[in-house]
This record gives sequence, C-alpha cells and structure tokens, in this order.
Amino acid sequence: MNTVVTVDDAHVRFGDAEAVDGVSLEVHAGEVLALVGESGSGKTTLVRAIQGIQSLSGGSIEVGKQRDVQMVFQDPTGALNPRHTIYEIVAEGLRIRRERADEKAKVATALSRAGLRPPERFMGLYPHEISGGQRQRVVIAGAMVMEPKVLLADEPVASLDASIRGEILALMRELVDESGLAIVAVTHDLGLAWNIADRIAVMYLGRIVEIGDTEEVLGGPQHPYTRALLSVVPEIDRMEPQVLTGEPPDPRKIPSGCRFHPRCPLVASGEAERLGILERCRGTDVALRVVSPTGSHHVACHAVDRSAT
Amino acid sequence: MTLLEVSDLTVTYRSRSGDVPAVRGVSLSVERGGSLGLAGESGCGKSTIAGAILRLLPPGTGVTGDILLDGDDVLAMNPGQLRAVRWTKTAIVFQGALHALNPVQRIARQISEPMLLHQTQPTKRSAATRVHELLEQVGLPPDRAGAYPHQLSGGQRQRVLIAMALACDPDLLIADEPTTALDVMVQAQVLQLLGSLRVERGLSMIFITHDLSVLTDVCDHLAVMYAGRIVEEGPSGTVFTDPQHPYTGALAAAFPTIGDPASRMRPAGLGGDPPDPAHLPTGCPFHPRCPVAEDRCATTDVRLTPIGGGIGGGLGADADGVRDRLAACVLVGST
Repeated sequence: MNTVVTVDDAHVRFGDAEAVDGVSLEVHAGEVLALVGESGSGKTTLVRAIQGIQSLSGGSIEVGKQRDVQMVFQDPTGALNPRHTIYEIVAEGLRIRRERADEKAKVATALSRAGLRPPERFMGLYPHEISGGQRQRVVIAGAMVMEPKVLLADEPVASLDASIRGEILALMRELVDESGLAIVAVTHDLGLAWNIADRIAVMYLGRIVEIGDTEEVLGGPQHPYTRALLSVVPEIDRMEPQVLTGEPPDPRKIPSGCRFHPRCPLVASGEAERLGILERCRGTDVALRVVSPTGSHHVACHAVDRSAT
Repeated sequence: MTLLEVSDLTVTYRSRSGDVPAVRGVSLSVERGGSLGLAGESGCGKSTIAGAILRLLPPGTGVTGDILLDGDDVLAMNPGQLRAVRWTKTAIVFQGALHALNPVQRIARQISEPMLLHQTQPTKRSAATRVHELLEQVGLPPDRAGAYPHQLSGGQRQRVLIAMALACDPDLLIADEPTTALDVMVQAQVLQLLGSLRVERGLSMIFITHDLSVLTDVCDHLAVMYAGRIVEEGPSGTVFTDPQHPYTGALAAAFPTIGDPASRMRPAGLGGDPPDPAHLPTGCPFHPRCPVAEDRCATTDVRLTPIGGGIGGGLGADADGVRDRLAACVLVGST
C-alpha cells in the first residue's frame, strides 16, 4: 500500500489543553478515511496538523510536499469570493504559487474532474450564477488544481441541503477511485462514513479509540463510545439509544485511567465492575489493540482487552 | 382534539423585483399531544409557515387562509391578543442559539423575561424559582442561571432556548432546526428532552428540519414540502420507509441506513437546486429534477391527493381503512 500520510505519536497542546494526545495513523493512496468524533475530540486539530498549519508539540507527521495536501472547507457560499469568476477562484492556488504555465489547461482539468463539464461553460460565471451543488464542486476544483495526493475535507456536506449531499459525496468517491487520491473526511456524520469511507477512525478527547474498515467498525463496533455514537443515529429500526449524559469532554481536564470512563455506559451500568475491570478503567490508561484477525480493526478499551485474554 | 388547524395558507413576500410566493396553499393540523414534522430543503417554505403561525413575518407580507389556534383565528387577532398568545400558547425555538440570545444578559434574566411580561409568575422571586425548575427540566445545572450565553456550550445554549420557550407553559412548541448545528450526542440529548416533554406535559410540537431521519424519530406525522406546498404526508415511519413521492424518496435516500448494503459506497442524491419561488417551473414544480418525470409532468399541476389502489394496492389505508397518506404526484398510483 502506498502511504501518503504518516502520523506518528502526534501531540498538539494549547496552553493546558491536550487537543491531540498521542495519535498514530497512516493514510493510503486511493482511500477515504473518515475521522469521526464530537467537538473537542481533536479531529479538526489533527487535520490542521496534517495540513501543516498547526505545529506539533510532540511526535511527527510526514506528508511529502506541502502542496500534496489540500483542504476543502465546508460552506461553499462563504468560501467563494462573490466578485471573482469561477476561473479566478480555481486558479487562485496556482497564482499564489506563481505557477503561470498552462494555467488555463490546469483550471479546465480541475473543473472537469470536479464534474463541471464542459469547463469552458463555467469559467466566466460568478458564484451566484451557479447552484449550491456546483459551488461546492468549485471549492473542490480549487483544491484539485494543485494536483494533491491528499484532500482534507472538514464536514464536507454538513451545510448542504439533503439532496446535494449525495451528489458531492459521489464526486469525492469518484475522485478517489479514478486517480488514487486519498481523502480524510472530518465529520460527525456516520452516514457519510457508510456512504463513502473505506476506513473510519473514532476520536475521543485527543485519541483514536477505535479504527478499522468501515464495515468492521460500523457493523461490529467494539468501543462503548463508538457503540453509543452509532446508537443515536436516528433511524427506524435501531439499537436502544444510549444517550451519553453530560457535555462534550473538555481537553483541559482529561480524566485519569481510560479517558472515557466518566461517561462510559459499561461503568455506569455496573458492567465494568462485574467484569472486574472497574479499577483499571479508572486508573490505567488504555492503548489501541488489534481485535480482528485481519489486523485492521483496533480498539482501546479495557473490557475488550479482558474478553480477548 | 385539534390544537392547531391551518387551512389553505398562502404567504407571499413582497420584494422590489415582485411578489415571491413562499407558501402556496398549505393545510395541516396538529392534535393535542401530537407532533408534526415539516421536512424540505432551504427555501421550501417550512420556516415561513412557522413565522406565519405566530405572525412573525415582515410587515406587508401577504398572508391568506386560516390559522386556528385552539379555536381562535390567529390572522384576525389584534396586537394585544397576539401578544397574549405568543409564549403562553405557542413558543418557537429558533435555530442558531447563539444569535437568538442576548449576549450581555445572564440567562436567568432572559428565561424569566417572558414570564414577567405575561405575568405567568407574579414576582421576580417566583420567576427565579421557575427558572431553576426549567433549567433542571432541560438538563442544565441550576447554578448556570447566572451565566452569560458565551460561557455556555452550543448544546447548553440550545437548551436555554428550549427552557425559555417552555417558560410560560405553552401548548404548542415550534422547533425550527433545533439541532442542526449540534454534535450527534448533544442532538440526541436535545431530541430525548423534547420527546420526554411531550410525554410528561402533553406538549404538542411542530418540528422543522431538512433531515428526514431526525423527524421520523420524534414525530408521529410527517409532511414533506417542496416549492411552497406539501408534496407528501402521512405517518412518519411509513413516509420515511415507503416514500411515494419521488422527492421524498430522494430526501430519504440522502440519509443512508448504516449497515444497509444498498447504500454502502453508493451515496444517493438529487441533482440541481430547489426552484426559485419567484420563478417556479410549470406543471409539477419538481419535474425538472425528478428522476421519473414524464412529458405530462411539465404541463399538469398536481395537488395533494390520497394514495390508494395503484402500485401498492392498499397503500395509504390503515387497519380501519382510513386513508391517511397523501401525495402530490401524477405518477403515484397511476401505474
């Protein structure tokens, strides 16, 4: 597998907050990796570090050249300058880097890859003259013009209407399948992961607590946090919703032991005590461990460790 | 018993470039203790309906039809009567909790304001007691009463808005995208709270959002809007799992069922944008985006009619033979 991003024990500290607290991760060419978690889980900070606009306080991230990594922001309306034509918007990245050679051809290719065909028809238009879905495609074209190896997408469809959502997700999948691009999609939308992601990493308080193939993680979630997240996805036939109480966790006050234990349903229900692991949950930190025979599914939970031994 | 009865409502915004018909003949009703979900994309008119029910639309906006709230005609009320109805009979929770709260007032004061204004609590002291009750009810520690909005998280602020809406003990709560900006777990907390309020207090609700899957969770009846009209309605579970209108089908497919092989690696969407209300397409307004449109769809306007016979045989009829499903599509039931 061709690895395009290698994150090794990354730490990001803001004052007394440990936003990213020891994350290791590889992103491969030709895959969509979904990074899910609540506010405060560190997922956006991690992606900013991969992009190179957030420095690490420990560990390392390897990404090749900086231009190999491009960011796609949410809210296409806010991201596009209303006074610039689509051509100028897409060419901006090239102009900043003073790459004037073949500019028009590169812009045309990027528009076309983003599904805006024929590109000549769109170049002279302004953002208000195209639809919402097309605007999001322009944002993606603006990133693709740099011919990146990795696209980082922060909630790529959260601000879009339901009907446009599928169109943009299909485009992202198409880019990956056609050219070996890798996409890291930051989201709290598990449906998005099911729709397009090869792998999914669940973050909680600056750590990955579960990671694996999407089918493994969503089909057989092992970490109580992943299970809770999955249980509250609104659907008709679903598991008993486990609504975690309390506010999203605070990276300035990371609990001792397993950082999830104060909200963990296994602890609250007495299950952890019955399993004889309560003391470890409260006092011993827990690392990711392989749980699948294929070696792709990893979970950080004392209960899972116990049942494995 | 019917609490809210809206009949043939039209709302027309006046703009410099002409009239914009935002709502074009909508009828709906909410029973006491019932909950209605209104779904649709930006610009379909769902929030305008919420504004019309409490007459919160800009002055000069053209509103016709009937809105009966507990038997009283809202459109005929004078300002005094209207003021009495707002908050005490019906309250709205708006989206974007940060902007709806006054940044320089402590939340206790903001929650008690409607109570003192409407004299549902005679004194500041009794209002303060009620504020504590409300904060507890929405799952906020009462010691947060003295906090300013910026000291609260997004989920907490949304709960403050719900507490405010409940302050005067309304019969009907209108929630306009109350959870869109929230994290999944916080969204689940807010939905659970609203659900328990319905059970405990018999509160009626209108729930507005573009996320059909959220509505099926909290509402017993669902109406899907497109271009200012309801295009499909019925019991929420069946509308979501067995959509009849092609637009409802597209909305439902946009939110995949996790674990369903049919949607794995196959995101479903619908091309194009909702139509500009000022320039609606001819015939069925959905026909330019409709995956199954026929020639006649471009010329035949279509109104909401009961679903029955046709494709699914007894579709739309419950055990007692009551037809409670409606759709506005010439192709439904015609094959």
